[in-house]
Amino acid sequence: MSHGDRDHHAKIATGKGDPQCFKGTADGPPKFKVGQRVRIKNLPDIFYTRCQVYTRGAVGEVAVITHESPAPEDEAWGHVDKSEWFYIVRFKQKDLWPEYPAAFANDTLQTEFSERWLEPA
Amino acid sequence: MSKKHDHDHGHDHKAAPMVEEISDFEALEIAVRELAIEKGLFTAEDHRRFTEFAEQIGPTPAARMVAKAWLDPKFKQLLFTDVIEASKHVGVDYLKPTGFGTPSDYTDVRVLEDTPTLKHVVVCTLCSCYPRPILGFQPEWYRTPNYRRRLVRWPRQVLAEFGLSLPPEVEIRVEDSNQKCRFIVMPVRPKGTEGWTEDQLTAIVTRDCLIGVALPKPGVTTNVKLQVMHPPGQAH
Amino acid sequence: MSDTSKAPTAPAGAEWKPVPLLEKIKKEGRVWGDLAQQYGVENPEPPWKTSLEGICEALGGNPCDTSTKLDQKWLDGQVDRKAVGDAAPLPALERRWEEDELSETIYKDVPFPERQLLALAHSLIKRGLVKEDELASRLKQVHQRLTST
Repeated sequence: MSHGDRDHHAKIATGKGDPQCFKGTADGPPKFKVGQRVRIKNLPDIFYTRCQVYTRGAVGEVAVITHESPAPEDEAWGHVDKSEWFYIVRFKQKDLWPEYPAAFANDTLQTEFSERWLEPA
Repeated sequence: MSKKHDHDHGHDHKAAPMVEEISDFEALEIAVRELAIEKGLFTAEDHRRFTEFAEQIGPTPAARMVAKAWLDPKFKQLLFTDVIEASKHVGVDYLKPTGFGTPSDYTDVRVLEDTPTLKHVVVCTLCSCYPRPILGFQPEWYRTPNYRRRLVRWPRQVLAEFGLSLPPEVEIRVEDSNQKCRFIVMPVRPKGTEGWTEDQLTAIVTRDCLIGVALPKPGVTTNVKLQVMHPPGQAH
Repeated sequence: MSDTSKAPTAPAGAEWKPVPLLEKIKKEGRVWGDLAQQYGVENPEPPWKTSLEGICEALGGNPCDTSTKLDQKWLDGQVDRKAVGDAAPLPALERRWEEDELSETIYKDVPFPERQLLALAHSLIKRGLVKEDELASRLKQVHQRLTST
């Protein structure tokens, strides 16, 4: 349900910030732990997503559990009644790009996902 | 950081040079803004607040936070646990101008700490998210698809274009800031800065160091002069 | 080089059509780099840049607003403000994606931030939020107003 009240966000977030205003609103604790191996799901995109194509299907490791917030796929439609946990997931570059030089096997990339995009690997 | 037309400050001072003509672009900005306000797309009040915000942000707060963290382990601890609180120590209220931050910057900032074997560099592939309240505006190159598409896939090539080449043992860690978190890089404090004051250290932590495309060096207080490859334009 | 970030924007097959008014400004307008050099002004950016950023921020709206509706009318520029409800007029991500596309096509030879300004005007006109003819007449008025004092 989208909020018709233009001031809704201001009311809940003033003095706290965003995403701080969503603290405690997810349905329970984070499903994944720091250090856990996860795979990025290839969910169908319905117009709006912040999950980059280059990460789909890749396996990485949870580096940081950041905060709770509505997923951008919902927030874009004004659906802010549900929050999810967000995670920074770290990948080896050689697992993301087939031609990444073997000489730089230590190189990594990390980026952030809402919980719906992750599954245990 | 841009300023309004310079003013003559008094009969003692020579008037600073001013552009004496109205460009089509200057007129276009005014026309777009006036029409948008008249049509209710936003209010003059909101525009004023966001413009004032734009006028007073710059990279010094983030630089100073890194300098303070280098000097003071307690501040470093604060920087890693509560950047919003730490920002207050350098004069930035992250909740301005709305009481909950700006619509595009949010209020979750993380510090990425380099080590001798780990170099961070930040990008936003989707658009050009950036911790503006403490770092000011993005340089033009950071906004271009050229940087955003290439850094994630060919980071060493892109860093080499900035003059930064690192040995294979050093892990280059790209941070693609695609959600609400924003990032600054805390580089390794360079040799040759023993006994330096906070001001001296602040001066060498340039915007490029805080994005991660440069390393701080004694004597270097400016950003890399880079000709943006597309399109032709000013080098920043 | 493959595209590492897929940005769905205009419907498939849509191309960027030049807007005559903006093409005129693109061709004839003097960019800040030239003006600053001519007058010996050192500021790296034009004085209107911060106001432009203010516009972009103000149009981006409230983070909880509906960004866009999957509505062909909206994408085609026929805006029904009531139907869209509390939508942000021009959400930041869409604006930036359009700016990226325009910067690689119609405005690829325009320096920054003039490019950002033209892309903004183009996005507003494309969405029907501002009409080309009213922008043209407002521009005339602004020029008259600023050069008469």
